[in-house]
Amino acid sequence: MILEFFRWVQSTDFMTGIRESGLTYPIILSTHLTCIAIFGGLIVITDLRLLGAALTHRTIADVVNGLRWWKRLGFLIMVSMGIMLAGSKAVDYYPNPYFWTKMSFLFLVFLHAMIFRPSVYNHPEKLDASPLIPTRAKAAGALSLILWTGVVCAGRLIGYYEPPQPRARAVAVNR
Amino acid sequence: MLLIQNSAIADALNSSEWVFPIAECFHIAAFAWSIGLIALVDYRLFGFGVQHSKPSEVARATAPWTLLGLAVVLLSGPVLFLSDVRMYLHNPSFRFKMYALAIAILFNYTIHRKVALSDSSSAGVRVTVGAVSLLLWISVVFGGLFIAFD
Repeated sequence: MILEFFRWVQSTDFMTGIRESGLTYPIILSTHLTCIAIFGGLIVITDLRLLGAALTHRTIADVVNGLRWWKRLGFLIMVSMGIMLAGSKAVDYYPNPYFWTKMSFLFLVFLHAMIFRPSVYNHPEKLDASPLIPTRAKAAGALSLILWTGVVCAGRLIGYYEPPQPRARAVAVNR
Repeated sequence: MLLIQNSAIADALNSSEWVFPIAECFHIAAFAWSIGLIALVDYRLFGFGVQHSKPSEVARATAPWTLLGLAVVLLSGPVLFLSDVRMYLHNPSFRFKMYALAIAILFNYTIHRKVALSDSSSAGVRVTVGAVSLLLWISVVFGGLFIAFD
């Protein structure tokens, strides 16, 4: 059923256009990668602040509140590019284990947000009121760094997967 | 002689199919880290980002972490390069990337650093320096990706 959906996505005019136009694909890919570069720092500095490793003379609230909408904007652009990249070659992505690894990491990022939003990200001033950075904030920062590194690495490895040769063809070659 | 040496290194690097992908993961994760932190200073030069802070504060706080990221990028990059020296040297996107990278690093540690650390620069100078910095680093990333499409 998922494969059928992927087939349909790939066959839409929009996705076909991306796939068949020479420069569009690398430009979208470069933009996806550029987003990692220019928005990745927002995540890194937030995590470092939560861990107490950087910008400690600024409150956690200043960092988290100041960067919130920039992170959301970056995420939106990055995901839009990602959907175009995966969607235009959806049938190739379907058997790729690294693609599903990346999706699993993104799902964990979603869970991370659900778990830590109420206690950490939505109330940073409560963290600042505590004399020491609470363990839950440090855990959120450390886990975020690990999960996003996983997303980036699995994303890169997608390009290295080679689908197994169809058996019928292999037999024909052997003869 | 140089080519023989290089091919010996290349053979070592190509002996395992995992060396290149793992070096690339380090390269990408570390450029996200380092360029991302430089971009954070740029946002502050524009007046966005970490609230109530001066650009100099963000620049000082991120500097050691940026350097750490750049070190990993500059160590993993040559591993990628040495795996296929001839291909890279003949690749126009690679050359573009190297020029952009040299200018970006030079700019970062001279003009960018000076303006970010002096909180008295005019708004025009700040915005220009932030924009040039972002454009230079974006060029580096685009150049890097287009190596694969040349």
